Amino acid sequence: MDRNQQILELTIIAGELLLKNGAEIFRVEDTMEKIAAAYGAEDYTVYVISNGIFATVKNKDSSYKTQIQNAPLSPVHLGRVAAVNELSRQIVNGELSLEEATEKMRDVWNIPFTSPKLQILASGLGSACFCYIFGGSVIDSLIAFVSGILLWIFMLKASKVKLSKMITHIIGSAFVTICGLLAFNLGIGEHLDKIIIGSIIPLVPGVPLTTAVREFFNGDHLSGTIHLIDALLIAGCIAIGVGSLLKIAAMLEGVAVI
Amino acid sequence: MMMLLQVIAAFFATVSFAVLFHIPKKEYMFAGITGACGWLVYLAFLNLYPSVTVASFIAAISLTFLSRIFAVYRKTPITIFLICGIFPLVPGAGIYYTAYHFIMGENALATAKGIETAKVAVAIAVGIAFVFSIPYNFFRRFFNNREKR
Repeated sequence: MDRNQQILELTIIAGELLLKNGAEIFRVEDTMEKIAAAYGAEDYTVYVISNGIFATVKNKDSSYKTQIQNAPLSPVHLGRVAAVNELSRQIVNGELSLEEATEKMRDVWNIPFTSPKLQILASGLGSACFCYIFGGSVIDSLIAFVSGILLWIFMLKASKVKLSKMITHIIGSAFVTICGLLAFNLGIGEHLDKIIIGSIIPLVPGVPLTTAVREFFNGDHLSGTIHLIDALLIAGCIAIGVGSLLKIAAMLEGVAVI
Repeated sequence: MMMLLQVIAAFFATVSFAVLFHIPKKEYMFAGITGACGWLVYLAFLNLYPSVTVASFIAAISLTFLSRIFAVYRKTPITIFLICGIFPLVPGAGIYYTAYHFIMGENALATAKGIETAKVAVAIAVGIAFVFSIPYNFFRRFFNNREKR
């Protein structure tokens, strides 16, 4: 395998890692170009949109090598983004040979997700804290804690059976609404709205919204639009899940909804 | 006192999201500080001037600013601090109230809440963009011998 081919492969691995784990387009292109330049590839061109990478390098005999990588929108893992960033810094400083770099870059894929137990706990804690900062009482927060935990158990299960993202968000938000309604109507908890707001927070599209803003700012309008639509769809799904359950509750007699 | 408790809650809320997005463990604290700082500024401004949009805008500016400083100081992509820290400001409550009024047939209230939610989202966006347009060298001045990112 000649050197240009190896460089192309390394940059594609790095680019896919960054793109799939939540980095913005500008960072992906910038990192790929820097790595290519560090190993002396002349005439290296890369084009990235939010779900695909296209890279081309020109050989000495004026022929071209091109590689295309499909990268569907997937769960965010910022630890991997940080790891690629660290690695690319070492590459630019000339600390790694091409083979070493490729091996280490492949290893980044093996950085594990946080353990499911810790994720579930974090979801509960996050829900409880958000319920509190939006004006819920301590008891409301405790209920949000429980429904946040149950919500994340559901989300982990749903990601295993590969349910579509829209359906998971509708069911998830409907589920926390049921938890809130149950607790509220049993007389535990003081503000139904604060409980539900706290518990839907782990589903709220903060990442696509932030990413969309940054893509627009960098002039990557196409990718920004994709992320913005992603954010709007998720927000809509949450609204449908919560809203339909509240409506059903309001139609039943003897169920308090406010 | 109330405010202190709220800011502490914001800290833990942000750390929870840091866990959910799998950021490196050694950055948890910095992400938490970013979120807490954003929420502190939000509350302080809400006391001065009762507009959620203005408060969100100012808070977004301050927490993006802090994220950029941390990014240089910790030599990590800014995404790590920004995405976690922005969460307290993301209008989750807005989505809920819009859906609630909409489903209950209170269309005027639903529209009002929907527009407010959109305004907050735009305010956050403009706040982030505002700080991103500050040249990189401005931040490097704080840490002279540190390199880019």
